[in-house]
Amino acid sequence: MQILIYILKRILQTIPLLIIVSLISFFIIRLSPVDPLAELKLNPSVSKETLQAETQRLGLDKPIIIQYGKWAKSFIKGDLGVTSSGEKVSTKLKERIPNTLLLTVIVIFLSWIVGIPLGIAAAVNWKSPFDRLLTVLTSIGMAIPSFFFAVLLLIFAVKTGWFPVGGLTSSNFMEMNFGQKIFDITHHLILPVTVLFTLSLAGLQRQMRGNLLDVLDSDYVKFARAKGLSEFSVVFKHALRNAVNPLITLLGFEFAGLLSGAALTEYVFQYPGLGRLILEAVLKSDINLVMASLMMGAVMLIIGNLIADILLILTDPRIREGA
Amino acid sequence: MNRVIYFVLCICVILGFCKACLKADIQEVSDIKNHKIQQNLYPTYPIEKNVTIDNVDYLQSQAPIGKFGGTFVASTIGEGPKTFNPFNSKDNISSTMSEIMYDGLVSTNPVTGETIPKLAKSFEVNDCEYTIHLRKGIKWSDGKPITADDVIFTWDKIIFGGYGNTSTRDSVIIDGELPSVNKIDDYTVKFITPKPFAPFLRMLSSPIAPKHIFESAINRGKEYFDGYLSTNTKPEEFVTSGAFKIKEYVPAQRVVFERNPNYYIINKENKQLPYLDKLVYLIVGDINNQVLKFEGGELDEISLQGANVARFKEMEKHSNFTVYNIGPDTGTMYISMNMNNRKDEKGKYYVSPIKQMWFQDKNFRQAVDFAIDRENMVFNIANGLAEPLFTPETLNSIFLNTNLKPYKKDLNKSKELLKKSGFYWDKQGKLFDKNNNRVEFDLYTNAGNTEREAIGVMVKQDLEDLGMKVNFKPIEFNSLVNKLMATLDWDMVIMGFTGSPLEPNGGKNVWMSDGTLHIFNQRLEKDLNSERYDFEKRLDYLYTQGALAVKFADRKKYYDEYQEIVYNEKPLIYIYSPIRIIALRNKFKNIYPTSLGGVTHNIEEIFIEE
Repeated sequence: MQILIYILKRILQTIPLLIIVSLISFFIIRLSPVDPLAELKLNPSVSKETLQAETQRLGLDKPIIIQYGKWAKSFIKGDLGVTSSGEKVSTKLKERIPNTLLLTVIVIFLSWIVGIPLGIAAAVNWKSPFDRLLTVLTSIGMAIPSFFFAVLLLIFAVKTGWFPVGGLTSSNFMEMNFGQKIFDITHHLILPVTVLFTLSLAGLQRQMRGNLLDVLDSDYVKFARAKGLSEFSVVFKHALRNAVNPLITLLGFEFAGLLSGAALTEYVFQYPGLGRLILEAVLKSDINLVMASLMMGAVMLIIGNLIADILLILTDPRIREGA
Repeated sequence: MNRVIYFVLCICVILGFCKACLKADIQEVSDIKNHKIQQNLYPTYPIEKNVTIDNVDYLQSQAPIGKFGGTFVASTIGEGPKTFNPFNSKDNISSTMSEIMYDGLVSTNPVTGETIPKLAKSFEVNDCEYTIHLRKGIKWSDGKPITADDVIFTWDKIIFGGYGNTSTRDSVIIDGELPSVNKIDDYTVKFITPKPFAPFLRMLSSPIAPKHIFESAINRGKEYFDGYLSTNTKPEEFVTSGAFKIKEYVPAQRVVFERNPNYYIINKENKQLPYLDKLVYLIVGDINNQVLKFEGGELDEISLQGANVARFKEMEKHSNFTVYNIGPDTGTMYISMNMNNRKDEKGKYYVSPIKQMWFQDKNFRQAVDFAIDRENMVFNIANGLAEPLFTPETLNSIFLNTNLKPYKKDLNKSKELLKKSGFYWDKQGKLFDKNNNRVEFDLYTNAGNTEREAIGVMVKQDLEDLGMKVNFKPIEFNSLVNKLMATLDWDMVIMGFTGSPLEPNGGKNVWMSDGTLHIFNQRLEKDLNSERYDFEKRLDYLYTQGALAVKFADRKKYYDEYQEIVYNEKPLIYIYSPIRIIALRNKFKNIYPTSLGGVTHNIEEIFIEE
């Protein structure tokens, strides 16, 4: 019951937050000197009438505050509006979200499945050659900028011809049978997943190792060891439970990054996800699309944090008591 | 001791690197010199002919007979098409996509630039009357016949009715009146323009819509039409007249077209074209990715720029592609000075009166022109892949005035011209005008466009040779547009336009004194009736007359004079026009590159031979 009230409270808190986020983003976009019609204006074959019609259609002839009001009204109704080229924002997003989710879910899944055990192994075998090797590898993983790494892999793909150069499906995808389709998508996914996986694996492994090392050094672990418990139950029953809290917070952020975390890599690999869509929208000041993506990011972040907090309440009695 | 050895070693390594870089750089330059690709003479394109077989008026390809089958993979940069409705497209990519699917009544001879019949069998022009004879027996991709009703419907209902993108409609309004279109019989249509209007003929290349498909959309109103045949429409719903028909659209990845089985162009064996089964456009985000995809073998055709050209030319020898130079592009690069002499609402001059004295002085503009080293820019900025430009019409334009000769940088001439207008230099070589004002102004361009930024730096240097002080300020594109179009508080700017090599009237927004893009003397709404310069009045006259004259020779006279005026008055100082370089895989045959049509203008005739 207490938890339910807590969740309700948190949800209510998000409302003013979202309003502030939307206000700030809207005004920053609109007050920036980006003119969605600049390209049209510099095209000699575009007539004055067309320009006027476009200005009216995009609502640019009205004051900003009215533009915001119009946007907010339809947003509350659940209508995200249309893009500057007249397509529905919601359909545009719907086209891309599954692709981005496919990529990020695979990456998060892989990096947690691999990263946590590696972190534990490194902490347990502290200062052993294995730990040192992992430290070197993860340092490299953290130090390489994802952008640069992605470009390197792309060049690798071009030179060897082993992997397709970006994209998600081959051009004859429609004629393939089911097995070939799965293979084709996997083939395309390997490189972008490698980039994102290396990056997030490194962070996660370091985090897990650090937390566990802290805990392994504490008095109750020493006590458990002194009691004569097996090393297995010392690490997994006593130490791990206490080391996992910061990772839950991390999980919340991972959730927030589900839709927006891979933008840069997506761009380099020409992956048909949200990243490319939103970048182009920002460049063209396509207000409805940009707003939709910003609001989506904000909502995801809030939900991610909420989930993390709830999980923390469930796992950590200290926090439970506090709440 | 050890430390000294390490130090020496490090120095050696660094020097080694420097040396390597130095050498590579020098090589690069000599490469460009060696590889400056000449515009080769490619085989002349055999124009298609009309033939009638079993009462069907086909268009017969005169190119060698090829094999059927295969796929051609091209690409577009950006976010892909916004719509597949040919009447709604506002961007290049969408228009390209709809042009593949929908043919117009006429098209352009890719060699000479003449208007030739396409969906029409023939046409006659008589002052204001355009009689179009349609092909008998040709069909839409769903098997329904293409008749005069489709043409009338397209022009009368969709275009004149103001559906979708109204730019075609706007440009055929002559003195506030629309042309009329009448059906003579099932295969004859007559257009009548209120006045003779030469550009109209080329506008007939607008796509023709199938009435039986579009009619229901038109009946549901303009708002519905704006979303009609969008990128979310199922491919089966498209009925086309062009060589291809959409098969699949995958957002941000590709557009796949399949051959239209009912296409009206046949080969010499009377089999219906196109040869290719599929035409694929990959949607790539940027140029670098496009180059990688071509190198990785995923693309069959690519347009090359800058340093890539020399690299591809080198690779060409041991690769399966050919690099084609198809001559000057329609893009232009120019410098403009703000010749505005008006005041804003607050009574303040847009351009300070001191600067007005300079910019409105023909001698000053010509001096600037003579000080600019175009050849140097072509060589250093465009990697030799451009041609110096002196006229507003691009070098491949059929209206180009060839009497206007190119010239070289001539500082002495510049100085003479400046002296004539009372400018003088002090002991340090600084330039002053006759009222003792130091000549100093701002030069703008849009930041991020590396080419224009590089030109800006060179223009600044060239003008500083004349003792002018130039503050070069690349600013964000949108702010620049705002300066040029609304606040008008700029001195000098480097910009570019894309012109049409076929129809100078497309530039009327630039050259007519009340045009929306009359950049060197932009008139806002309130100033539309303000005083014109003499040469502006003449340009207005020439542009109006040029559109009214119908014969090519008559029009050419007007447009020759307009180019001459711009050549002499220098409201815009043209710098260069880039050259188009295209790489294409060798397995494709029937390739006839032309300057006007590019490499794949005859896509229906292209076939694959391994």
